[in-house]
Amino acid sequence: MTSETGFDPNLYDRFPTSGPRPENELEELERIWRPPSGWGRLGIINNNYIGIWYIGTAFLFFLLAGILALVMRVQLALPLQGVLSEHQYAEFFTMHGTVMMFLFAVPMMEALGVLLLPQMLAARDLPFPRLSAYAFWAYFAGGLSFFASIFVGLAPTGGWFMYPPLTSSVYSPGINADFWLLGIGFIEISAIAGAIEIIVGVLRTRAPGMTLDRMPIFAWGMLVFAGMVVIAFPAVILCTLLLELERALNWPFFDPTRGGDPLLWQHLFWFFGHPEVYIIFLPAAALVSSMIPALARTRLVGHNLVVIAFLATAFISFGVWAHHMFATGMPLLSIGFFSAASMAVSVPAGIQVFAWIATFAAGTPKFNVPTLFVLGGLVTFVIGGLTGVMVAMVPFDWQAHDTYFIVAHLHYVLIGGSVFPLFAAFYYWTPMTSARPLSERLGKWVFWLMFAGMQVAFMPMHLSGLMGMPRRVFTYLPGRELTATNLISTVGAYLLAAGVALFLFDLARSFRFRMEGNAGNVYGGGTLEWLPTGSYSSRSIPLVRGRQPLWQDPALADDVRDGRYFLPRSATGFRETIITSPLRAEPEYLEIMPGPSGWPFSAAIFTALFFMLMTVQAYGVALVCGAIAIGCVLRWLWDTDRPVAPEEVDAGGGIMLPTYVTGPRSHGWWAVVILLVVIGMIFLMTVFSLVYLFGIHPRFWAPVPPLGWLAPILIFNAGGAMLVLTARRLLCRGTTLWTPPTLMLLGTPMLALALALDFWSWRSAGFDPQLTAQAAVVHAFMAQQAMLCAVSLLMAFYIAARASRGMLTAPRSNSFDIATIFIVYTAAQGCAAALIVRALPTAM
Amino acid sequence: MRSWGLFLGGLLVWAAQFLLLYAIGSILLTSLPARLLAGLITIVAIGADVWLILAARARLRTGRDRLDRWMAALALTIAALSLVAVTWQGLPALLA
Repeated sequence: MTSETGFDPNLYDRFPTSGPRPENELEELERIWRPPSGWGRLGIINNNYIGIWYIGTAFLFFLLAGILALVMRVQLALPLQGVLSEHQYAEFFTMHGTVMMFLFAVPMMEALGVLLLPQMLAARDLPFPRLSAYAFWAYFAGGLSFFASIFVGLAPTGGWFMYPPLTSSVYSPGINADFWLLGIGFIEISAIAGAIEIIVGVLRTRAPGMTLDRMPIFAWGMLVFAGMVVIAFPAVILCTLLLELERALNWPFFDPTRGGDPLLWQHLFWFFGHPEVYIIFLPAAALVSSMIPALARTRLVGHNLVVIAFLATAFISFGVWAHHMFATGMPLLSIGFFSAASMAVSVPAGIQVFAWIATFAAGTPKFNVPTLFVLGGLVTFVIGGLTGVMVAMVPFDWQAHDTYFIVAHLHYVLIGGSVFPLFAAFYYWTPMTSARPLSERLGKWVFWLMFAGMQVAFMPMHLSGLMGMPRRVFTYLPGRELTATNLISTVGAYLLAAGVALFLFDLARSFRFRMEGNAGNVYGGGTLEWLPTGSYSSRSIPLVRGRQPLWQDPALADDVRDGRYFLPRSATGFRETIITSPLRAEPEYLEIMPGPSGWPFSAAIFTALFFMLMTVQAYGVALVCGAIAIGCVLRWLWDTDRPVAPEEVDAGGGIMLPTYVTGPRSHGWWAVVILLVVIGMIFLMTVFSLVYLFGIHPRFWAPVPPLGWLAPILIFNAGGAMLVLTARRLLCRGTTLWTPPTLMLLGTPMLALALALDFWSWRSAGFDPQLTAQAAVVHAFMAQQAMLCAVSLLMAFYIAARASRGMLTAPRSNSFDIATIFIVYTAAQGCAAALIVRALPTAM
Repeated sequence: MRSWGLFLGGLLVWAAQFLLLYAIGSILLTSLPARLLAGLITIVAIGADVWLILAARARLRTGRDRLDRWMAALALTIAALSLVAVTWQGLPALLA
């Protein structure tokens, strides 16, 4: 057997261990992992609690958005109804779409990841549990605040994709659109935090022996999902930021009279928006692929092809964004390329569908509730997929664009592709966290009501659309033959709602949250989440020898419970989990995990307040809240990165693992690199905006400032980076002097100085961001750089503060490494931005 | 990184080809030079996929253990799919 890290795989032969375990091990584990009670619950960070809260909150948003849909269906049941005014209807459809997409679908998938992944991977928790808690509370507070806007007449009205110029300050005065822009931008930050957690969790906290080919299919799906979030979400963060800057500061990114272009919004939004559909579908497909082997009682047919399909979907989905823009007059050749990609993306989805059908055919399925939901989802999704191929054909799309045909198509895809699988998952995994499973008898009623309701509601919408009913109209005239189809759709919507209401009743009747003493493996799943668990996850971390470990080794659960595998106790007296290598899952070191803390909660609340107050233009108080939020984050970080006394500990079976590593082996390093990918994507999208606007309106572009300015800008950036790198080198040599933090403190302001010079060069050349889109984009680059410089300075002071308290470990310090990577990246981006904004107009 | 590079190679080739096709279509619009360039890029992408297929086949034969061979098998399938995908993706350049 080959090794990835130098670990000797023959050591695995020691497991399961034999002989009695010390008596107090389990009690100690329970004590260390016990969550706080009372008000202390706000500081809980255990994934099983956060996961359940996350799922509950996402489901609440599903219900709220569903209620909005029901009211809209009453309005449309008959012509010229007066239930909602035109303005209220616009608020309702905007909130319905936005809440379903941003507050239900994506967070629900992340929530399931937070709950299920550590159990499936047999990790004690996700690698950054406080970040999970922060992401949840930020989403909770931000989401509820955003939804509350509808009760005070401040809900946005521009539709869930908020196209300018409709959403510009001219056509959408007031702060309704700002609620959307700042609220969504904020919630996406929470989603990205969750995605970073999931990527590092899947790649670095798998149980030993869980090589990539043995990784649960759900983990594959979540890994691809999180990767897509990291690449796609920066685009929506950027476009919301640009539109907010246009609205607040009159920077004309989307105003064609000053060199902007409204289509830029569409490109940026759909670069996020189309992958978003697959971001929602892929985890749901992964849930289905995880459940089907247990439901059909056989292995998943085409496991490898399903993995390939996940990866292919992720890549191709980024090449189809412009198929939402076929009606905008793009060049014919481009339309051809996007049309081809749009058809191609159906191939990996087809592979998954065939794999599921084949598994059911090969197995002996029981038609229980999860099976019904999976099959119902399959049928519904295939119908949606077929209409998707129809609208991928440009001439048809021109006819169906912005009609109810599209509304029907997207609901078939999203409900079939994610809502039904989600309900299957609720039934399948509830016994893992509840003392009682959900009722099979009621569940079948729930399924048939929902399935019938779905078809009755949305099938007629295809006809409404083909008969010419545009989407987003608040009423229609009698005598247009639209009444019958709309009335049927309304009846169907209420059937669907009756199914959901019955599910809620069953949930209230049966669900009783339990970590221990849960209902157990009702459906006979073979993956590790069905191991006996407590608040510490499984008693010991098993050695994985196959894709369905519980099927392959029936004694595994008992051996794990008896502590015969890795980490049967707390080796250091702290919360800890094993960090393993990304390909072969070889044990590398022991991560010392932080305990419960109220700081993530406080940081999330003050971050939400910052965004809320910015929206209502209370800038002073907002800044105070922002500063407090930063303080809370720093305080929570202060407790982390503290090496423990033993440098190596016995992780079980006499295998010694280090308790602290730095550099590319450390999980913190991975997280910061992924964060830099996010920041880099925002930067790349800004470059795209620059090139796009230049290509569309070159006549608005003015000559750039003299190139002589470039030299000092580049020198200061490079000099700052060099000083910081030198500081790290000195630290690595083991110096205990103050030189490393001092050099970092000296180097970082040089980046700010470079930025100041850059800013001055543009201002002295007469570039005002309110006058042209070129100047606005240049200032957008500088605004990004200013934010990076501010964070870099904060990091430098934080490192200095740790050094002053003797907490900067030498020669290895993760905090110092992370600050170094970030600051060097900031310098590199500063140089790149200064070059690009000058090079493009000069070269052209 | 080399393992991941080969593993995802086919998809990276498709992504690079698509990005270039989009740039060409946007900059040169629907013109003869755009079609010729699109064709050229497609041929290069096909060449890259063929190379990836050969590399993955070699890895499949010489793989040191189960995981190595598994990754090579997936890399081979992905590259083969990519070969079809990049050909399909380049076809609009031939249409009127």
